[in-house]
Amino acid sequence: MTVTLTMNKKNKKFADAPVFTDKKDYRPTGVTEVGLTFVGHEISEDRTAMNQFLHYDQLYTIRHGWNSKFFIGLLEGKIMGTRCPKCGDTWVPVRTHCWNLNCNLEHTDWVEMPLTATVHTWTVAGWSGRSSLKRLPIILVYALVGDSKVAIANELHNLAPWDVEFGMPLQIVFKPQEERVGAITDFHFEPADGWTPSPMTPEKERIKQLVEPVYDWVKTLK
Amino acid sequence: MSRKVCIIGGATTPFDYGPTGFESIEGGAAECVRETQQDVPGFSLRDLDLMIYSHFSVHFGHQLAPEWIIHDHLGLVGLPHYRVENGGNTGGSALYAAALAVMSGHHDCVGVIGWETMDSVSQSQGSEFIAMASDIRYELMVGGIYPIYYAAMANKWMKDNHVTEEDVARIAVKNKNNAMDNPKAQWYRNDHTYLTVDDVMNSRLISYPIKKYDCCLMSRGVAFVVVCSEEYAKKVNPDHYVTIDGMGLSSCTIRAGDRLNNPTWKEHYGPGYPEMTEFGACRNAAEQAYTMAGIKDPLKDIDFGEIHDAFSTSEAQIYKALGLADTDTIAKFIRDERTSMHGDIPMNPGGGLLGYGHPVGATGIMSTIEAYYQLAGLIPKKHLSTTTEVPDAECGIVNSHAGTGTSISNFILRRH
Ligand SMILES: [Zn+2]
Repeated sequence: MTVTLTMNKKNKKFADAPVFTDKKDYRPTGVTEVGLTFVGHEISEDRTAMNQFLHYDQLYTIRHGWNSKFFIGLLEGKIMGTRCPKCGDTWVPVRTHCWNLNCNLEHTDWVEMPLTATVHTWTVAGWSGRSSLKRLPIILVYALVGDSKVAIANELHNLAPWDVEFGMPLQIVFKPQEERVGAITDFHFEPADGWTPSPMTPEKERIKQLVEPVYDWVKTLK
Repeated sequence: MSRKVCIIGGATTPFDYGPTGFESIEGGAAECVRETQQDVPGFSLRDLDLMIYSHFSVHFGHQLAPEWIIHDHLGLVGLPHYRVENGGNTGGSALYAAALAVMSGHHDCVGVIGWETMDSVSQSQGSEFIAMASDIRYELMVGGIYPIYYAAMANKWMKDNHVTEEDVARIAVKNKNNAMDNPKAQWYRNDHTYLTVDDVMNSRLISYPIKKYDCCLMSRGVAFVVVCSEEYAKKVNPDHYVTIDGMGLSSCTIRAGDRLNNPTWKEHYGPGYPEMTEFGACRNAAEQAYTMAGIKDPLKDIDFGEIHDAFSTSEAQIYKALGLADTDTIAKFIRDERTSMHGDIPMNPGGGLLGYGHPVGATGIMSTIEAYYQLAGLIPKKHLSTTTEVPDAECGIVNSHAGTGTSISNFILRRH
């Protein structure tokens, strides 16, 4: 009796599973998940202290779910935003429900955004996380894409670091299609066509002075 | 109102980085309790009726539920326990939880233990772990680390408020030099040098306008504090307890870019605030704490603070969010050295995150303990000299801060 009940439950379908057909694997060669492994240790000369080395690497599946359109859009060279049908607020990065408490989590609509933006604020990085060191120096900007109410962060290329300016107009440039991975790094910003930087100022000189050693340091990285 | 909440004592391990002198997390916790018992002989582990653990990241700890190791080690089997996690504001949030437990009347004596072991991975790996508290789908691989997000916010804030690189460098100098009077501070134990504004200006670029010496330290450390009812405080430490007279906890967006045009902030504070530059959650949490504690003019009513200076720029932004200055006065406020030891509201006499260190889960607890020492008259005993003692301090503010300003708590502590 119990057995029959269990089988009935298994057969019940609550939702159709997505069928994943367009699969890509671009992991670097030699990267494998070996799970948790002790890989070494060290003991002090007086044998009172010990450090043990545990190797711990994991493969994560980021299930983009309802946000998937944004990341699929990147593969297609599009910036997808969302817009609230009630209050009209538009967002990149996207929100699948409206942020306005009066809209009671209204479901939003997908909209294709223009490939233009404006710098809201910026910085010039001379240091970063392990995976980004070789790209230094990096101009990072927070920019408003089209009529988005919020700013999105990304790198600004094709400009000397000291020439970035508040409010400067930008264009969104995608990597060649074969290099895209459906991640935020598939695109970057560049100055809009026809925009030229203002002349050197004391602040620009200061940034130049801070950035120059970074170029030299990056050359020493293997 | 609900019943009074008090602090009767607490201690940290020395904050450090690297292989020297590490006890183990449970060993460090035990040493913090032992030091507290030396200060407060009447306090016994048997008096605790709840333990709250304050720890940020199992990435750093390489152990799920590490609080179970500490709790068991302290011999507290049978006592209720749970862990609080809220990014950089983990310590402040754990203190908030402990205060609520006492205020409710359900618990009488609550122990809070915070810790982080950030030196279990390399510095650049550690930066990437912390960056996983950004929205990794949109932010992780662009620029990549928190100092860069903070720099982008601070760059515009400094322009909007006429604050210069030299101005914020003074804050870095102040806190790291304060730490030179504190034997448990990481800056004292590792770098051990007095800095000048020129040193900060000439240190390597992290992300404009932030340079190496504008940044806090990655740390390993443990901290313990006892939060209790006034009845219990009067019983075990009648002459040296402090009261938590006000507290506030508030929140903001995870991605800094999302706080532009935010409808809820607009409703609270009008359009254009907090922009991407101000810490709206800090202002909001301060207002809650001030109202509760009856603070009318923070600059007059508060004697000192231990605040979340992850970057020198953040400390300047926090001054403004706490209502100590406004757009017109903030640059002068910094230049007049109002927050140095000889100023009228010294900030981070203990060294702050820039000097003492920032083992995330322990940080807010460390700030609370330093504020407690000031108010309980324990600085001459705990620091190397009285140069970092705030004379006759009656009222202090403790500030704990997470994300890009994503969660922030403020506490008003008063000498009993
Ligand atoms: Zn809406």
